[in-house]
Amino acid sequence: MSIDITGVTKTYGDFVALDDVSLTIPTGQLTALLGPSGGGKSTLLRVIAGLETADTGEVTIEGVNATKLPPQKRNVGFVFQHYAVFKHMTVAKNVAFGMEIRKRPKDEIAARVDELLKLVHLSQFSHRLPSQLSGGQRQRMALARALAVEPTVLLLDEPFGALDAKVRKELRDWLRRLHDEVHVTTVFVTHDQEEAMEVADEIVVINEGRVEQVGSPDELYDEPANDFVMGFLGETTSLGGVLLRPHDVHLSLTPQEAGAAEGSISRVLRVGFEVRITVLTDDGDEVNVLLTRTHARQLGLEPGVRVWVSAASGATTVPKMAAAAG
Amino acid sequence: MVKVSAPVRWTLRLLAIGYVFFLVAWPVGMLFRRTFEGGLDNLRDAFNDEDVVSALLLTAQVAGIAVIINLVFGLTISILLVRYEFPGKRLLSAMIDVPLSVSPVVVGLALVLVYNGRDGWFGTTLEDNGFQVIFATPGLVMATCFVALPLVIREVVPTLTEVGDEQEQAARSLGANAPQTFWRITLPSIKWALVYGVVLSLARSVGEFGAVKVVSDNVSGRSQTATLMVEEKYQNFAQGSAYAIAFLLVMVCIACLVVVAVLRPQDEN
Amino acid sequence: MSAALSGATLDVGRPVPDDGGRPRRARRTKPRNTLTPGAGLGLGIAMLWFSLLVLVPLSAIVASAAAGGWANYVNVLTDPQTWNALKLTVSQAALVTVINVVMGTIIAWVLVRDRFPGKAIMNVIIDIPFALPTVVAGLVLLALYGPNSPIGVHWAFTQKSVALALAFVTLPFVVRAVQPVLEELDADVEEAAASLGARRSTIFRRIILPSLVPAITAGAALSFARAISEYGSLVLLSGNRPNETEVASVRMLSFIENGSYASAAAVASIMLAVALFVIVVLDIVQRRVSRRG
Repeated sequence: MSIDITGVTKTYGDFVALDDVSLTIPTGQLTALLGPSGGGKSTLLRVIAGLETADTGEVTIEGVNATKLPPQKRNVGFVFQHYAVFKHMTVAKNVAFGMEIRKRPKDEIAARVDELLKLVHLSQFSHRLPSQLSGGQRQRMALARALAVEPTVLLLDEPFGALDAKVRKELRDWLRRLHDEVHVTTVFVTHDQEEAMEVADEIVVINEGRVEQVGSPDELYDEPANDFVMGFLGETTSLGGVLLRPHDVHLSLTPQEAGAAEGSISRVLRVGFEVRITVLTDDGDEVNVLLTRTHARQLGLEPGVRVWVSAASGATTVPKMAAAAG
Repeated sequence: MVKVSAPVRWTLRLLAIGYVFFLVAWPVGMLFRRTFEGGLDNLRDAFNDEDVVSALLLTAQVAGIAVIINLVFGLTISILLVRYEFPGKRLLSAMIDVPLSVSPVVVGLALVLVYNGRDGWFGTTLEDNGFQVIFATPGLVMATCFVALPLVIREVVPTLTEVGDEQEQAARSLGANAPQTFWRITLPSIKWALVYGVVLSLARSVGEFGAVKVVSDNVSGRSQTATLMVEEKYQNFAQGSAYAIAFLLVMVCIACLVVVAVLRPQDEN
Repeated sequence: MSAALSGATLDVGRPVPDDGGRPRRARRTKPRNTLTPGAGLGLGIAMLWFSLLVLVPLSAIVASAAAGGWANYVNVLTDPQTWNALKLTVSQAALVTVINVVMGTIIAWVLVRDRFPGKAIMNVIIDIPFALPTVVAGLVLLALYGPNSPIGVHWAFTQKSVALALAFVTLPFVVRAVQPVLEELDADVEEAAASLGARRSTIFRRIILPSLVPAITAGAALSFARAISEYGSLVLLSGNRPNETEVASVRMLSFIENGSYASAAAVASIMLAVALFVIVVLDIVQRRVSRRG
């Protein structure tokens, strides 16, 4: 296994950033650390890189105990949210930096820089300064720079966080394809569940300094461990003491299923092909239901109409307040 | 933006220009005129005077040493203040600015009280061991260091803060050790602030007068610097020489100003 | 995960308002120390030098002034020559500070809001008093206002020369403090005020001036502190006539030359107290004004 984290705790004054975190990150995969801001995911990444030291616990990288190693001896590649480009060096010099530090022969460095710049589509910019590049280009350069030292693991801290939506999406696809080519163990931090679901092989959900759940995107979506994971991965609504997704609510004009809750429609909002309906049940629940436009039109839904709502068969549900109870 | 009416604009403009012209521009211009009244005679006479030459050399030597000391000290303190946490950091940061608000004469007095050979706190011991501070080059260097102390720090600290430590962290993660990170990443990114601080320190060091006067016994060739020489020449009615030396000092300072003016825009890029 | 642990985390993860002060207080009582051995060594050496150069000598002044006790201060202050020197220094410094507040603000305004040929040169000239050796500053003023004045203004060796020299060396303080603030001033705010019907004078008084006040007072404090401690530019220009044009620094220097270090230290500490007092007063004034604005 590539990275083993055992019992890592990190506090800043009174604030507990990481609370006894243990985690294993598999070799050769693209793993996302997902969670809300301030939940500890970036701290965990920086502890792996050696940019922060854990108060307690151990970090092992490829079988080597790295807990006490300074960052420069861990052989990790780190990509920062704000790129951390070396402003006074050209693109080629930036990429060559790690190899120059390692005193590789000049021609080897030149060849590798060429190869990497081709990989990140920046060949024609090799003699530019970073200030002449766009955000997306800078981040690709930073990635090439991190890959140049042939790291055991590649760590990316909110790599696309500072980019605008369109570039973000492009780079996301590109990172996935790059990883399929290079196969280096990669860990990236994100607070965007869509990004994590799209790109990662495995997702680690982190909140309040603890690991909430580890699994593939599908596992997390279909079998969330608790209401936090459920809520973080997408919209939820509550119905009869359980949380479920609005599109997993079955709505009918007649009582078809046992246990369906009766209520009336309080609001209908149409957005493109979707129709979002709010149902006020007689038990006092406010249930959000998501239907396609066609479906809603067939049923002739409008405010005031009496309806019956229930969890559709095969719906993912979790009991409400699971975390607090457990 | 608020537009000011034409009469008000002209009044303010003339006031500002007039004030600066009469207070600074014309007097400084007069210095040039007085220096070259007899063609190059004043400058030639000054350079033929052995005492003047040795005063200029002493100033160059003292300013040079003081700038190097302040550069090393300033860089160390700046990095400590920006990149590290330690108890007493805020106090140190406040204390660093103290030399800027102390009168030069007080600086001299303070150094004399501690380092004079007669009854100074450390001076008697030092002098017994053959090391004279007051009335000698070390005293001149210390006085000069004192008055120019915060200049490098004041330039470097904001730049170092603004640059942040991400580039340094990136370098560490790419395998660079502490000295490599310093020479390849930290130093190049604060290069201009550093040059700027050094230039300001140089101008201040070359021109220091009050503090130096207190710790000097004004013996030419040993403790008489160029600024002290200006005073002596003027008071001895050798006004031509006084203007010539002053002219040279002004040229050094204007050169420093020009360097700063050229550097500023680069710094902002 | 154990219930005890998750309980502890929940407690921390709930940053309710009344918890807000806790981390800060914890940090103040226990300052973090991130010094590496190398950095610690650097700090040690730097502090040793800083102590030898600045801290020990300055405490020597305090010690020397205190050693004489009150008698020392009474002696110094009852000496008419010293008293006159102190009075002259403080009054001229105050006068020059007022001039700087007015002229410095005007110059900064002209440099930022006006456009005319030669503005760039004027901007450089403002810095000359910072760069010029003080004794040379005295010399250049003598060239225009001295015995051979080409414009017939013979101010040298009079009290006017003291103000002149102090105005010269303190010129940049207010200008350089106000200039950046004026540059950063949001034009939107002025336009908003204008759109609400404010007249130009009202906009200046109610919008622009209050935002400049902190910078003006900061510049004024610096220029006062510099003025009362000035020495070099006065040596040649003022003639140093006792009771007439002799300032505190000159008086201090003659004490030093006579070997009466205790008297010199007493004058030095009085000047320091005056500077501190004025800085505090200006700070209070600034707070009052900006609160009212």
